[in-house]
Amino acid sequence: MSTEFDAIVVGSGITGGWAAKELTEKGLKVLMVERGRMIEHGGGYVTETLAPWEMPFRGEGDAALYARDFAVQSKNRHFTEFTQNHFVNDRDNPYSVAEGTEFNWWRGYQLGGRSLTWGRQSYRMSDYDFGANKKDGHGSDWPIRYADLAPWYDHVERFIGVSGQAEGVASLPDGVYQPPMALNVLEQYTKGIIERRWPERRLTIGRTANLTREKEGRSACQYRSICARGCSYGAYFSTQSSTLPAAQKTGNLTLVTDTVVERVDYDARTRRATGVSVLNVKTGERRRHTARIVFLNAGAFNTNHLLLRSRSDAFPMGLGNSSGQLGTHIMDHATTVGAVALFDRFQDRTTYGNRPTGIVIPRFRNLDRQEGDFLRGYSFQGGALRSTWTRAKREAGVGTDFKAAMRGPGGWRMVLVSFAESLPRPTNRLTLDPVKTDAVGAPLLKIDFTHGENERKALADAGREASAMLTAAGGKVVLSLDRPGVGGSAIHEMGGAMMGDDPRASVTNRWNQLHDVPNVFVSDGAAMASSACQNPSLTYMALTARACDAAVRLLREAKI
Amino acid sequence: MDHRTRDAGGAGRRQFLMAMAAVGAALTPAALWAQVKTGTDAPAAKALAPSQRALLDRVADLTIPDSDTPGALAVGVPAFVTLALAHGLEGAGAPVPAARFTGGAGPADATVLDWLMFELDLKAGGAFLAAAPAVQLQALTALDGAAYAPGGQASPWRLLKGLIVTGYYTSEAGASQELQYELVPGHWDPDVPVGPHGRAWSNDWTAVDFG
Repeated sequence: MSTEFDAIVVGSGITGGWAAKELTEKGLKVLMVERGRMIEHGGGYVTETLAPWEMPFRGEGDAALYARDFAVQSKNRHFTEFTQNHFVNDRDNPYSVAEGTEFNWWRGYQLGGRSLTWGRQSYRMSDYDFGANKKDGHGSDWPIRYADLAPWYDHVERFIGVSGQAEGVASLPDGVYQPPMALNVLEQYTKGIIERRWPERRLTIGRTANLTREKEGRSACQYRSICARGCSYGAYFSTQSSTLPAAQKTGNLTLVTDTVVERVDYDARTRRATGVSVLNVKTGERRRHTARIVFLNAGAFNTNHLLLRSRSDAFPMGLGNSSGQLGTHIMDHATTVGAVALFDRFQDRTTYGNRPTGIVIPRFRNLDRQEGDFLRGYSFQGGALRSTWTRAKREAGVGTDFKAAMRGPGGWRMVLVSFAESLPRPTNRLTLDPVKTDAVGAPLLKIDFTHGENERKALADAGREASAMLTAAGGKVVLSLDRPGVGGSAIHEMGGAMMGDDPRASVTNRWNQLHDVPNVFVSDGAAMASSACQNPSLTYMALTARACDAAVRLLREAKI
Repeated sequence: MDHRTRDAGGAGRRQFLMAMAAVGAALTPAALWAQVKTGTDAPAAKALAPSQRALLDRVADLTIPDSDTPGALAVGVPAFVTLALAHGLEGAGAPVPAARFTGGAGPADATVLDWLMFELDLKAGGAFLAAAPAVQLQALTALDGAAYAPGGQASPWRLLKGLIVTGYYTSEAGASQELQYELVPGHWDPDVPVGPHGRAWSNDWTAVDFG
């Protein structure tokens, strides 16, 4: 059968861009469909160089507007007046949550998706992670192990550019790194204290997709740390800076924006997807596109939503859902402030520039032996800094002396934020809302998610350990929390189309194909079978590159 | 209610307060309210009455005065605070509960500026705006001290001061003369000495968020 394209990629974010790059470079004619607007690299970053005094609300934003249109998005730390154009309007893009639950679903519907605003932390998962489901029985056993993904991690890191320090820590495998950004003076000191006192622990610079060396037309980082506005230097990985130009260079890419995929079309006779049905959100025009394979990279929850909506006689519960597992075992990370401490040391020392990454203390719990009363583990991210003018809001004083006292840098403080693994549970799940619909009458995605006792126990342990480490380094702990934030708070929502070898107990196979529909690939966060406790985007990229390689091989072998 | 009417109420109160001061009468919350209620209890209008503008100007100036760099009044902080109040930044749109007023009584829908005027008049022992600069500074210092003392967390002054501080250090002069601002640092140095006249970085965004 002749098709309009060889492949359709749904979504242009972190994994959509990767799918488009890999498939076009392998010679496929690819259509990439983005639901949001075009944002051109460079010229589209409209707030990038503005100073606070050039913004109507000084960068703080219009609280009245936010309450009306950005009620969820505005709770995100990265959401500011400078970045609000990279987040969805909540009023126009509703979702529902199960009664008695909350979930903050942070989204960016534009070319590049959340690749424009992501935190850029780039970590590998280890075999502690890939083996976790099998070991303790939660969720579906991963059908792959670290050795399967390692070459693809290499491939991705080489292309996107990750700066970091190889450490030889088993729970956080080393990768292919550009030179690391340096720890600041207090972080370096604290590292020494922690590693002497707890030899199995390591404090290292955050491995980040910010360049420290120029690379293929992309400049090295300028240390502004305003990445989420968009970076015309191309110094951090985004679709626009990295994968999109590579895909476009092949001449094989067709890109459409302002176009939402409403369903994946399925032919029950051939048992294959035939393409997608789309709606142009500007013109209201509906049409179909056909292709030999479809890659779903809409963002974990939207990929689930699309599959759930793609109902047919053959798949009345959603495409690829013969197992009934679609939408189940969704995860985030349970996160909170492990500890904040004030330090008297180094008052005569400070830093220059804004480093766009912090520090990480990789997982050290429950690796080769079980410790404590919880399964799996947690890690810390954070860093040390000197306060600036915002301290004037919370310090007493007015007048000349107050102004003078606020002029210099404030005291040193160090923050450790805890990220605990989220166990995959069948009760944490996505469904179609039975009643509520969106503006065009489609059922809303309904999110039913709560953190469990295991996450709470892990965060309690993390709070104690964070406090102990900062105290050992001479800090005075002023805050330590152990309750997880609302679901979604880590912006690591994932799962729902988990990988596994058993078609009755999982949705996607070892090559990210739907068990039921082998020419549909799910390679964004939806395919995750467990969450580990590290930032997941690098793993999504590696899985996508690997799945693209498999897809092209299977096409050539005429198996799909 | 239009500005003129509101200001007439404010002027009436000033006259009342000056009269009280002239006869040496102790100013009590009840006495002050008796007068306030006859004049200025307008529902929250978005534009400020001239008396409120005058109050905001004076308080901004007292909080961050001119020195070798311009102060909060000179860089236009009152306009930012006015905008922030109208758009509810930092929750500023919510009415101040009566319990926050000294004496425990306040009008319905009191704004933070209504509250501030009331409290500063009380602390100044008369019309704050008509008082001598030293008296004004003393009154504001007392108000500030109470807001940052244990138990003062809910003081509306913290909110207002936060807006003044934000308006100042995000202004061009506050950000780049009083402090330092560098859009493109270009490199990272993890350990440099703080000079004797070292100024904080207004564009250290991580410190702005977490410091």
